[in-house]
Amino acid sequence: MTTLTSALYHAAFYADMVLTVGSACVVAFSKNIVRSAFSLLLTFVGVAGLYGFLEADFLVATQLLIYVGGILVLLLFAVMLTHRISNIKASNETSFSALAALAATGIFLVLVEVGTKTHWDVKGGPLGESTRPIGLLLMGDYLLPFEVAAMILLAALIGAAYLARNAIRK
Amino acid sequence: MPTTFPILTLITFLPAVGGLLLLLRRDEGDSETRTLAFLFSGVTFLASLPLFFGFRNDTAALQFVDVRPWIPALNIQYKVGVDGISLLLVLLTTFLMPLAVLCGWKAVERHLKAYYACLLFLETGMIGVFVSMDLILFYVFWEVMLIPMYFLIGVWGGPRRVYAAVKFFIYTMTGSLLMFAAILYLYIYLGTPDRTFDVELLVMRLRGLPFGAQMVLFLAFGLAFAIKVPVFPFHTWLPDAHVEAPTAGSVVLAGVLLKMGTYGFLRFCLPFFPDASHAVMPLVSILAVVGILYGGLMALAQEDIKKLIAYSSVSHLGYVMLGIFALNLRGIEGGLYQMLNHGLSTGALFLLIGMIYERTHTRDVKAYGGLAKAVPLYAVALMIVTLSSIGLPGLNGFVGEFLILLGAFEANWLYATLGALGLVLGAVYMLGLYQRMAFGPQPARAAAEHPLEDLTTRELCILAPILTLLFVLGLCPNVFLRTMDASVNLLLAHLAV
Amino acid sequence: MSPTALALVQDLRLFLPEVILVLTTLLVIVLDVTPVRKSHRALLYLTFCGLLLSGIYLLRHYVDLRESGGRASSSNVLLFGNSIALDPFAVYFKGLFLLVGLLTGVLSIRYKKLNPAGEGEYCVLLLCSTLGLFLMVGSRTLLMAYLGLELVSIPSFVLAGFQRDSRLSNEAALKYTIYGAIASGIMLYGMSLLFGLAGSLDFAAIRHALEGQTELRASPLLLSVSMLMILAGFGYKIACVPFHMWCPDVYEGAPTPITAFLSVGPKAAGFGVILRFFYQSLSTHSGGGDWTPIVDQLQWPIVLSVLSVATMTVGNLAAVAQTSLKRLMAYSSIAHAGYLLMGVVVLSKDGIFAILFYLAVYVFMNFGAFLFVVFLHDLVGSEDIEGCRGLGWRAPFPCIAMAICLFSLTGLPPLGGFIGKFYLFLGVIGRELYWLAILGVLNSVVSLVYYARVVKAMFLENIPRGEAEPLPVPFFYSAAFAVLVAPILLLGVYWAPLVKLARYSSSIFGA
Repeated sequence: MTTLTSALYHAAFYADMVLTVGSACVVAFSKNIVRSAFSLLLTFVGVAGLYGFLEADFLVATQLLIYVGGILVLLLFAVMLTHRISNIKASNETSFSALAALAATGIFLVLVEVGTKTHWDVKGGPLGESTRPIGLLLMGDYLLPFEVAAMILLAALIGAAYLARNAIRK
Repeated sequence: MPTTFPILTLITFLPAVGGLLLLLRRDEGDSETRTLAFLFSGVTFLASLPLFFGFRNDTAALQFVDVRPWIPALNIQYKVGVDGISLLLVLLTTFLMPLAVLCGWKAVERHLKAYYACLLFLETGMIGVFVSMDLILFYVFWEVMLIPMYFLIGVWGGPRRVYAAVKFFIYTMTGSLLMFAAILYLYIYLGTPDRTFDVELLVMRLRGLPFGAQMVLFLAFGLAFAIKVPVFPFHTWLPDAHVEAPTAGSVVLAGVLLKMGTYGFLRFCLPFFPDASHAVMPLVSILAVVGILYGGLMALAQEDIKKLIAYSSVSHLGYVMLGIFALNLRGIEGGLYQMLNHGLSTGALFLLIGMIYERTHTRDVKAYGGLAKAVPLYAVALMIVTLSSIGLPGLNGFVGEFLILLGAFEANWLYATLGALGLVLGAVYMLGLYQRMAFGPQPARAAAEHPLEDLTTRELCILAPILTLLFVLGLCPNVFLRTMDASVNLLLAHLAV
Repeated sequence: MSPTALALVQDLRLFLPEVILVLTTLLVIVLDVTPVRKSHRALLYLTFCGLLLSGIYLLRHYVDLRESGGRASSSNVLLFGNSIALDPFAVYFKGLFLLVGLLTGVLSIRYKKLNPAGEGEYCVLLLCSTLGLFLMVGSRTLLMAYLGLELVSIPSFVLAGFQRDSRLSNEAALKYTIYGAIASGIMLYGMSLLFGLAGSLDFAAIRHALEGQTELRASPLLLSVSMLMILAGFGYKIACVPFHMWCPDVYEGAPTPITAFLSVGPKAAGFGVILRFFYQSLSTHSGGGDWTPIVDQLQWPIVLSVLSVATMTVGNLAAVAQTSLKRLMAYSSIAHAGYLLMGVVVLSKDGIFAILFYLAVYVFMNFGAFLFVVFLHDLVGSEDIEGCRGLGWRAPFPCIAMAICLFSLTGLPPLGGFIGKFYLFLGVIGRELYWLAILGVLNSVVSLVYYARVVKAMFLENIPRGEAEPLPVPFFYSAAFAVLVAPILLLGVYWAPLVKLARYSSSIFGA
């Protein structure tokens, strides 16, 4: 890799980080819930970029398809369709901000310390294509977790349907 | 005398069977309930008599032993037996219970079945404490006792019954849970092959327990017992419990429950931790003396008769502790004897107070007077019990107090002298009480409206056996003392090591 | 078929109890939407059948395990690519969970607030949650532990808010969800840190990796951070301080049968996972059933014993001031998490055995107490201590049963709870953790104060005016109380069989 591409690579990485963390901050701190929801879009895209840097092509695709394309759209629908959305002030209040900031900073520092001082168990070399192995693993060694996730979704669906059901049927 | 018939098991569980029967009975006939309760406690008493007559005085070994494996994995056994230390206490319990059942004949009107069931369960618990020779079994009975007593005070007691019941419960529970931790420690300490809860084996195996451990364990056990006795300054639950409990509750409380603490010292603390016992002897003796004097002075100041007797109990139990912690033959035997005396005479006092309370519905000493003229039989009975309580020669109290003071003088003249001062106090407050109740002017209004009825036949039947025993214990103490000799000597041998 | 597929199919045979739960779930869903007229509570009874059938297969597993050689390694079967273990430990817990599921169903039968139109969903969620409990205690990897935990949590969120028209219930659901989401998030972060260090999600592989680490690479700080983060997830499930905040509100707002479920099921499963994770990943077996922390700098037993004391103290002290029975039981269950943690920190098979024993008794005591709450609500219309006043004389049997449960929770002999505490304290003292034992004992005294308050209200306080006549107790309650109290009494007098069972089940942690 030439120095130029290397520099570009790093620049892109940091740009992606700024995008991700910055938009996440907006999600957390914005007093306007619609703005928060839209910022989440950027966060998700940023995370997809992060997967890209890790050469996890399958995850990039799923992140974009499921989170950006599916979950976020649903979330936006939910936000926009909720009653009294105009009453924006009531939503997303923050309290104890000083204390929270202190705690968050503390945790952040600890995590930085941990992240930089640890010898991580890094697998070297390029990963190559990942979709096929993931598919095989999901149908093989990880079949049970896969199926359990299906059960979780089923339970969540039924529970959500119950809670959201309009009138109690006889 | 190895008997094949498990007589101790029988007398321990017979009352509980009766209690269950009462609870499960469908019909609500009050007199049948009372009769049944009396029957069960009476039969238990009769069944316990062979213990006394079949008891061999020449051995310190446990008698009438009944051993069965319970949880073999932990070496927990069901083991019951009596020796010279527990024999008379078991008999005291079985003797007092029918009387306690009888004395509530009229006074208790609410929830009769539950009331008598509680009394009978309590009896099982108390006998169980005295006969069990396995620490876990002992602890089970020790705690089981609390629950019926809690209900007896809390449901059928006086106006502040709930407060008194909760206080009683929490005080005693605190002590016993610490004891529980200590029991577990003992078990762990012994190491795998020797682990046991068997009291006899523990006495042997705990030889050579380091002094520091002895002290800590002595305190853990001792606190539980001291609260129960109660030793000054752990006595504050007692006046409340006594005052609020119904008559039968007070009789059982004074007669038997308070003896559990002193029994615990004799059975566990002294033989398990001999070095610690010697070490804390001055401390306990001082607390005992303080208890004697403090109880006496407090009794002097009371207007409430039950409270007065409650404080006198603190004082009397102080003597017992003083005797036990003289750590010599006379002292310990005197302490044991005084336990019986106190059980009988204070039990009788509570019975008598209960009887007069049923008539006047007041415990205020100022409301009485002239009983000697109004109810002569009652006055005579009260006289005898009062004299027994202050230790008049010829009556039972004298023997115990005399022995205790002899023992205490042997050990330390100072404590003994101070303790003897308490005798004077005792005479002052008891005779004062008697004088104020029996003589003097009869309150005019009360006399005019409700002429007091003298003792009824039922009441005479309750009192007669107790009064007889007061004389018997006073006139021929040797019959009883000689049952203790062997066991107390063995205990002293353990202490001397 | 490929060898992997063949192995998976074979594993399925050893997975039948879980499979039956799934099939029952599906059956309930299908029946619920078919327009057949169903009698009242029919789906609930179907759920019972599913649980019982699952129990039969579980029993067969148990027998097979015993026959295949006691505590030999052959009895510890790993399924589905090592992600699930079928060992005596898991079977024991699964038995408890089936019991919990059944009892929750029993409590629901007469629970009036339960919306009959939602019965199908109720059963489905209950079954899913039970399945989640099964997976949690069987898990051998962090991934399965997490998925099991979520499968327990997500249905529980809905169940807690099952009374849609009740504000309290809604609040409970919301609190539970938010706390749950945060706890899982933190836990996942911790798991990812640990994965980064060890390169595996498998408990045994993590231990192997940590053992192989030189001092250079094993960062104690990282280990501590990830352990604490993972503990946040598990601690949330067992409701230990400082992850207990959700507990009182959720317990109070949730339908009472669900409260009972939450107070026992997820708590027990949480302990199952904690034991597996802390012993199988973060400790080494030093022989004779004793364990030591795998990395010297990571003294997790100290952390947990401090948490244990804090948990029982906070729970007990807060319980004293409660007036609502359900809140009181919430704090009591927090306190019990503290007692049970004592068994974790002793680092020996005795402690684990004590936990297993205590949990079995705890199921009966807690369900007995919550059955009383249902009873009180059904017949008196109250869920407060105030509502019990004088009830002891109007409905003696249920009140005596409740008193037995409460005294057993206190740890008074001769009741099952005493024996449970006996073993817990025996373990603690055996490890010479005297300070812990003393604090535990003192806590028991505090707990007596509030348990006795309920008994006091039932028996010692006067009956409110005009309510003196006896209360007719439906046969259902008498029978249910008898079934729940009988084991408590029996285990207080003769507990050797349960000891045998619990010893065998804890034998995977060293003979």
